[in-house]
Amino acid sequence: MKALQLVKYGEIKDSLTFNEISKPTINSKDVLIEVKAAAINPIDKLIILGNLQGMLPVPFPSTVAYDVSGIVVDKGAEVSDFEIGDLIYSRVPQEQMGTIAAYVAVTSAAVSKKPGNITFEEAASLPLAGLTAMQSLEYAGIKENDKVLIHAGSGGVGSLAIQYAKAKGAYVYTTTSSDNVKWVKELGADRVIDYKTEDYKIIVKDVDIVFDTLGQNYTLEAFQVIKQGGKVITVIGALDEDTAKMFGMADYKMPEELAKRISAKEATYKYIFMQPNGAHLNEIKLLVEDEKIKPIIDKIYPFSESIEAFTHLASGRAKGKIVIKIS
Amino acid sequence: MEALINKIKSSIHLSSEAEAYLFSISTEKTILKGETLIRQGQTVKKTFFVTDGCLRSYCTDKNGKEHTLQFAIKDWWISDFIAIYTNELATLTVECLTDSTIIEFNTKELDEIHTRFPEFESYQRHNLERHVVSLHKRILNQLQLSAPERYELFLEQYPDIEQHTRNYHIASYLGITQQSLSRIRVEKAKK
Repeated sequence: MKALQLVKYGEIKDSLTFNEISKPTINSKDVLIEVKAAAINPIDKLIILGNLQGMLPVPFPSTVAYDVSGIVVDKGAEVSDFEIGDLIYSRVPQEQMGTIAAYVAVTSAAVSKKPGNITFEEAASLPLAGLTAMQSLEYAGIKENDKVLIHAGSGGVGSLAIQYAKAKGAYVYTTTSSDNVKWVKELGADRVIDYKTEDYKIIVKDVDIVFDTLGQNYTLEAFQVIKQGGKVITVIGALDEDTAKMFGMADYKMPEELAKRISAKEATYKYIFMQPNGAHLNEIKLLVEDEKIKPIIDKIYPFSESIEAFTHLASGRAKGKIVIKIS
Repeated sequence: MEALINKIKSSIHLSSEAEAYLFSISTEKTILKGETLIRQGQTVKKTFFVTDGCLRSYCTDKNGKEHTLQFAIKDWWISDFIAIYTNELATLTVECLTDSTIIEFNTKELDEIHTRFPEFESYQRHNLERHVVSLHKRILNQLQLSAPERYELFLEQYPDIEQHTRNYHIASYLGITQQSLSRIRVEKAKK
């Protein structure tokens, strides 16, 4: 079968190539998926460039990408939740990475039936970004009438986080650039802040939750805008100590300034590392079917132009997700 | 099973032998919300009569989107009749929208009832006539009525169905988007 593979770390054009490889085999808990569409995410770019070698080393060659939608064509003996012919979507676990291929084997625990009211391409755009948004906001215990600041509302994670927070009844502030204000507003955000003309730190006050998708100075600034006892959830800032321990970094200490601000606000600070989870994807499915969450797609590429899709991702100019139609 | 027997008896005289045969080939089942009875792409061997609950048949297009052909509530039959009559693989999926009770028949055994008990021929013809009428009405309504008119008719035909279905089930039955369905509902509520 045809697959897009990473053959070495480095620039996109030098590192990715189409290879003819054998169809994956399944174990007793896996389903074999005939891939209809795959989607790519910023993490794929970091893996290709070799920036994550320490945390997530990959052998060469490795088929790339995590997001997938498709049809179950085979299943292991212990799989009872899915049947051959089921239409599904998934964020495949690290050890099963490789969705830009004709087939992928995935543990059934990471799989959910796809929403029936959207296309395969739309479904493939949801898992990684949707799970990140959902697991982050759920960790923060988001509830009705909470005030939430979500950075980068036009991003893959931000655009889904806005919709998820609105589905939970929260009041949502978000930041974006002038070009995106209109469509981000249409996602349901209550107050869209154009960071080119407005200072969000003046507008946002005493929020319950900040969802930090930008890192750098935004992580520290979050403590200026949360209420006493508020929560800052990051997917890109410094690790918190518990998460660092989970990654085996026993002696890790948080940056001093960050620790000081957390304590001054009696705040919760948590780095969320998204976990593949079929049950969570099923909750997202229901929200999509009730039109609480709409997938946002920037562009759909044919399989043969997958490398161009990565170049587009690397440009950082996509509004919504980049999807590859496989079959 | 009694519901089905009574329904048949209301249109033909049913001999006790025929009634006994019907019993012998039928299985009454409780099925749970979310269960799939027929799956697109597979062989179809069963036909179902609904005694309680709500089922749906739909096809999935090449882009992965669902299109609803039929809802089946109390006293309706449901299966993939294209597959049964043409001996092809299923083009439809039949799923259970709410916990339901059904009577399941093997289509071959159900077919045999016509040779064994000729009185069933007229019952079957009567059923097919009603089915053709309802299909023609559905096609004509789709061609000539506006979306709000189709929604009104739908509510008349399937009273109380909204509590069992998600918005996209109804939208995909009417051939409209969920946004259009929401607008129609808002307009209707204003009246």
